[in-house]
Amino acid sequence: MFDNYVLLDKGFKNIEKNGKVIGYELQTFISYYRGIPLSMINTFEITVDGVKISHEKIKFSADGENFFTLDEMRTVTFYKWEYGQPGIIFVEQVGGLSAGKHEVELMESIRISYIPVPFIGRNTKILEIV
Amino acid sequence: MGQIKTAVSLYSYQDEYVRGKMTLEDCIKELHGVQVKGVELLPDQMLHKAPFVADEDIKKWHATLGKYKIVPVCNDIFINTKLYNNRILTHDENLELLKNELRLAHKLGMCLVRLVSMTPTDIIEDALPLAEELNVAMALEVHAAMSFDIPQTKAFTDIMFKLESPYVGLVIDTGIFCRRFPRVAKEYFLQQGLTKELAEYIDKIYLEHECITSITIPETMPADLKRLIKSDLDELYVVLADGYENRPFNILDKYYPYIKHFHGKAYEMTEAGVEYSIDYKGLIDYLKHKNYDGYIATEYEGGRFALPGVNVDAVSQVRAQQKMFREYIS
Repeated sequence: MFDNYVLLDKGFKNIEKNGKVIGYELQTFISYYRGIPLSMINTFEITVDGVKISHEKIKFSADGENFFTLDEMRTVTFYKWEYGQPGIIFVEQVGGLSAGKHEVELMESIRISYIPVPFIGRNTKILEIV
Repeated sequence: MGQIKTAVSLYSYQDEYVRGKMTLEDCIKELHGVQVKGVELLPDQMLHKAPFVADEDIKKWHATLGKYKIVPVCNDIFINTKLYNNRILTHDENLELLKNELRLAHKLGMCLVRLVSMTPTDIIEDALPLAEELNVAMALEVHAAMSFDIPQTKAFTDIMFKLESPYVGLVIDTGIFCRRFPRVAKEYFLQQGLTKELAEYIDKIYLEHECITSITIPETMPADLKRLIKSDLDELYVVLADGYENRPFNILDKYYPYIKHFHGKAYEMTEAGVEYSIDYKGLIDYLKHKNYDGYIATEYEGGRFALPGVNVDAVSQVRAQQKMFREYIS
């Protein structure tokens, strides 16, 4: 029911470092109605053009400055992913994605104290690398 | 005795807020514009770094309330018992989280915190001295699917009856008084491909029961319902279906002295100016009879059932519910 908050239209782009494209980023809101510490995020699952991204290639940042791998995030209680704050997902991929349209699917899974099962948000969008 | 007062939970404006259409100040300004007296807040939703909110943000909160003459009424808090993925927090850890929330509520000028349903009950008595010191009452939310029958709520009410403290009570969510199944929820799932016969089945049995949990859980689900479930979406619909209850108002009699606050759910304010599912005329009459002079706070939740391409319009829905409240109260 918060699926509409998963995957933003903005912020889908290749990332360059020292003159080389090292991967790409996408942005998403939390698929919930409040902010939570990053340790309460179980996982992100990303599929681009039908190919599932392996989890060690994924990093997440709630503030655009501090990036954590999914494994590191399990112990991150200091930083919160605030409601209304676009979270940034970085995918490591040398050369990035080709210019043009890509089908991107994102699944977010978080743990909520009063719900016995993981809380999941999912969305698929056609996004463009310009 | 005074009369029933109204507030708005800013939870109502969550879609406008997340999409950047309304800021926290815009929300407070909107309340002022529609003659609402009180505000309820989820600090985790609209204040950064909660419960350790920066002093300047606290200052700004008070300045905004002062500017628009709005009274802080209730702070909706959550104990993140599942902070780590490999264990549930201990009693001492949960207690510390609750104490942090009480301190924040006090700083925000709130005299009440709403404890979300299923909050660990073993920390309440230990937090009581601080609650008394800060003059912040703790009230468990009684919410459909997690209302009076479940063991966790019963454990809390047992402690509440034992302690007899003005600082331990209940927040009643009026989703337990749905006289028929919310239409917007059904339409949202139908649009996604929900089996129509299943939706009709739930509508019908809903009318015949106070609570349909025993029908919707796999262990005791009747065979004719099982046969109607044809997809994952159907299954999800059935899982969520007991999130509404059809209780008589007098279920509150036993708990009435402990009730601190009401969440006035709004799933769909119709063109006739009434909530589609909840009999608010009946509820307000019941509360008037009890001489209730506390708050009922609008909690608009229909936004999550917005159909694709339709913008959520919480502002209009909240205004409509407040108008209805004023008519019934006066």
